[in-house]
Amino acid sequence: MKEKLLEIVGSENFFDDPEALAKYSKDFSLAPRGVPNYVVKPKDNQEVQRVIKLANEHLTPVVPSSSGVHFQGATIPKQGGIILDLTRMNQILEVDELNRRVRMEAGVTWEQIASELGKRGFRMIIPLLPHPLRSVVTDWLEREVPTNTVYDYGEPLQSMEVVWPTGEIFRTGSASVTGYPDSPSKGANPSGPGLDFYRFLQGAQGTMGVVTWANLKIEYLPKIDKVLFAPVHDLNYTIDFLYRVLRLRIIQECLLLNNINLASIIAEDWRKDFEKLRASLPPWTLILVISGMHRRPEEQIQYEEETLYKVIKNEFPGIPLADNLPGFPGLGKKLLPMLRKPWPKEVTYWKNRYKGACHSLFFITKPILASKFINKVEEIAARYGYPISDIGGYLQPIEHNRACHLEFNFFYNPASQPEVERVRSLYSEAASVLLDKGALFTRPYGELAKLLYDRAAGYAMTLRRVKKVFDPNNIMNPGNLCF
Amino acid sequence: MAISQETYQVLESIVGPEYISANPVICEGYRAGPGGYECGSGYERVMTKVPGCVIMPRTTEEVQKIVKVCNRYKIPYVPYSTGFYGARSHPHVSDELLIDLKRMNDFELDEKHLYAVVEPGIIYSQLQEEAMRRGMYIVVGGGGSQVSAIANMIGDGWSPLSYRIGLPHRRILGTELVLPDGELVKLGSLALQGDPFWGEGLGPDLRGLLRGFTGLRGCLGIVTKMAIKLLPFQPERLEPTGISPHTTLQLPTNRVKWINFSMPSKDAMKEAMYEMSKAEIGAGVTKVPIFWRVIAKAKSKEEFWKLWSKENEETLSSFHVLRVLLIGFASEEQLEYEERVLTDIITELGGEARRTRPSDESWFKNADAAGMWLMCGGYVSVDYVIETIEHAIPHGENYAQLKKSFTPPLMPDYGDPGWFQSFELSHQGYSEFLVYWDPDENTDRVDHFYLETSKENIRKRFYTSLLGPHQPLYLTGPAYGPNYHKWLLAVKGEFDPNFVCHPPVPLAHDAFVEQAEWMKPLKDWESPKIRQKK
Repeated sequence: MKEKLLEIVGSENFFDDPEALAKYSKDFSLAPRGVPNYVVKPKDNQEVQRVIKLANEHLTPVVPSSSGVHFQGATIPKQGGIILDLTRMNQILEVDELNRRVRMEAGVTWEQIASELGKRGFRMIIPLLPHPLRSVVTDWLEREVPTNTVYDYGEPLQSMEVVWPTGEIFRTGSASVTGYPDSPSKGANPSGPGLDFYRFLQGAQGTMGVVTWANLKIEYLPKIDKVLFAPVHDLNYTIDFLYRVLRLRIIQECLLLNNINLASIIAEDWRKDFEKLRASLPPWTLILVISGMHRRPEEQIQYEEETLYKVIKNEFPGIPLADNLPGFPGLGKKLLPMLRKPWPKEVTYWKNRYKGACHSLFFITKPILASKFINKVEEIAARYGYPISDIGGYLQPIEHNRACHLEFNFFYNPASQPEVERVRSLYSEAASVLLDKGALFTRPYGELAKLLYDRAAGYAMTLRRVKKVFDPNNIMNPGNLCF
Repeated sequence: MAISQETYQVLESIVGPEYISANPVICEGYRAGPGGYECGSGYERVMTKVPGCVIMPRTTEEVQKIVKVCNRYKIPYVPYSTGFYGARSHPHVSDELLIDLKRMNDFELDEKHLYAVVEPGIIYSQLQEEAMRRGMYIVVGGGGSQVSAIANMIGDGWSPLSYRIGLPHRRILGTELVLPDGELVKLGSLALQGDPFWGEGLGPDLRGLLRGFTGLRGCLGIVTKMAIKLLPFQPERLEPTGISPHTTLQLPTNRVKWINFSMPSKDAMKEAMYEMSKAEIGAGVTKVPIFWRVIAKAKSKEEFWKLWSKENEETLSSFHVLRVLLIGFASEEQLEYEERVLTDIITELGGEARRTRPSDESWFKNADAAGMWLMCGGYVSVDYVIETIEHAIPHGENYAQLKKSFTPPLMPDYGDPGWFQSFELSHQGYSEFLVYWDPDENTDRVDHFYLETSKENIRKRFYTSLLGPHQPLYLTGPAYGPNYHKWLLAVKGEFDPNFVCHPPVPLAHDAFVEQAEWMKPLKDWESPKIRQKK
């Protein structure tokens, strides 16, 4: 097998020395280590196809890996096999400005795409400060949640190319036409042909096939932006306010961060700033952005702002929305560009700044239930002796605030085994308890998978039947999900 | 009745004697047509049958039991809610069991979290009325307000109001699906809890089974419950006026406005759509074909023909009317702002506003499916494709060219290339092409045209809505994906091992081509023999 892999990708893109393999055996998560047998870095879909066909012949697992950094353990081999490292496939293949679409390979990072689009006056809606080396395609496939709430259509993912676990190359949606991209069809429709294949690939952690490129929506950069803040002392009241105003479709980015997370993000000189910031920031901060687009931007901002303040005056007088957070001058100017870019490469990733590592617990829920979950997590953390003041909090409204992504960040020192064990135990119990209380975990990483699929037996059974159709030998990233 | 007495008794025990019937009079009521979508087409004549038995379950559990009985006794069945989709939603084999889902009509609404939970018997007009009472709206698909919301959500589901959110797939939330073998799978948040507010799956999203770009016509199971995302609207009431069938919704013009513009060219219309999206204004924008205006004006078939005969290729090709919907979602000031921006755009492009009635006849309320057979008796949409605006325009023009040699029997329409509109703020564009014919005439060439559009799309590399069960699967399969048909059939085989769920869909159009003598000369693709129970 080694010889055949060498033949496919060439010796410079094949690795089996212990040092190289070790790099893929762990990531920033608490997942157990797992060593691959080989690492290959294909250059195109043909090489991906040949590797997968070979893996089928040998019934060897294949673990696709697109990003330069991983946080969930999804790319750690559970049963050995071949790491299919797609970082060489990092071309931005097309930027179609007219249809606001970009087609990119799986290895394109947030850093790359933000830079390219920014030069052209475009942006992609973006999750909160993603790691600059994360794969854009993977983050959308894995359903990261954007901070922008204004577009009714939400998800930017359009059509894509996949190499199925059997080795067949397939294009989804309107890219499925013969000869694409040399066709009138641009790939703007993700759906079809025949079935919504793209849905099977979402949230799949690479178990359903290898996506080699995808089309994604991009948006124009606004002409004018205004960032508004409100210190939050009563979370429920603020959430009620969001139920009201996010229906109006005038707010671009909107999020809530607790003091430790906001401090981690805005601290410039860590030693000097962080403790001071976390002590002085309000428990939670509401951050809103309103924007003026390409025509009459001042007039747009004006009606948006007037509408917002009218709602506050008449219905929510307790929301102290202002251009700046009291006591933090210049915060708006600093934060706005950050919200539209990945985290800067030269600075330690924001989630790892505090203690070197972070384990995140996140799920979807109705915003009205957020406080209940926060209280429950604090109660459990206290039982484990984890300081409540050290829990990072992030609430991301979704779809006019009809739902939200609620995230808890448990920071720890990865060199301290007791801290690692404490966070591991705390996470396990919290996940289980929150699940009982109605938290909806839709991205079953690591130990969550068993917890969820045991409870959703009908879903798991159907999933296995679909998986069997596409991956009869179960070679794609086995040991993840329910396969 | 071909269903055995023994099986009938088993089915009867599930729903009770009043909700099952093999009486030929009752069954005849479920005959496909007459009038409307695909009426009188060869496909309808060859492929549809009167059911052998009709059963009306009330609950998901009953549906499951029925489907399991069908699998045990190898009884073909077809799910049926409102039957808009003419021929393709009716039985295709003799003595088929038709599972009529109309009794399943529970309906709940969560206003705060913008969704409604409906069963298959709930139609759009009920849903839209309740949504609008609470400051929300839903996109009523082209099938019209009389269709089952669920059937439309898993079939098609778009209109000019898709400008802000195009794909209905995004609005499907927690869903219950009885698989073809009778197993129940709960999708989205329902997989884990009783609240259906969220649509994404646990890991891979099994909503992929519900449909492709367009629907599977019930061949991959029966949706018994679905939560559908609603969209926030504005607070003013749209007041119904008029006497049926000439009813309208009076618009509160401080908040909702349709404005028609005369534009100098097709390019200017296209440019206006892109510019609106760049400014992120509007709630809908579509080209208006002259044909719509004639339909709207005509009070009868005779009047339609009188008016239509005054048109010609010249009047059609120089008719460039753009219809724009503005909604002050946030405030009256928003609408005023957007109108100023729109005026700037239109002025720059050399267009001018026309007098526009402050009412909505079609899109909020009912779509206009019911008026479509007025002029000829039979019609079908030979494509309704979501891609880009750049794709939409040549696609329609291409069809118009192709259609020339099939007119008659298709209705003469002076080379009308259909219409196009902007979806998802012009990330996508939509084009639709309808054809009309007299079902009393020989329709062989209508069937030929329908099939030729598929070949034309393959040749010219256009995307198309008519994939899966809508055209011969072995014709389109190799050309799209490629080989999507293999995966579709493999999934079908996995979940419907007895092939009892609406057979021979998704191979029904293949079967039609094999069975209809007049279609055989067109068959120039490879396919295995389709087994068809008579």
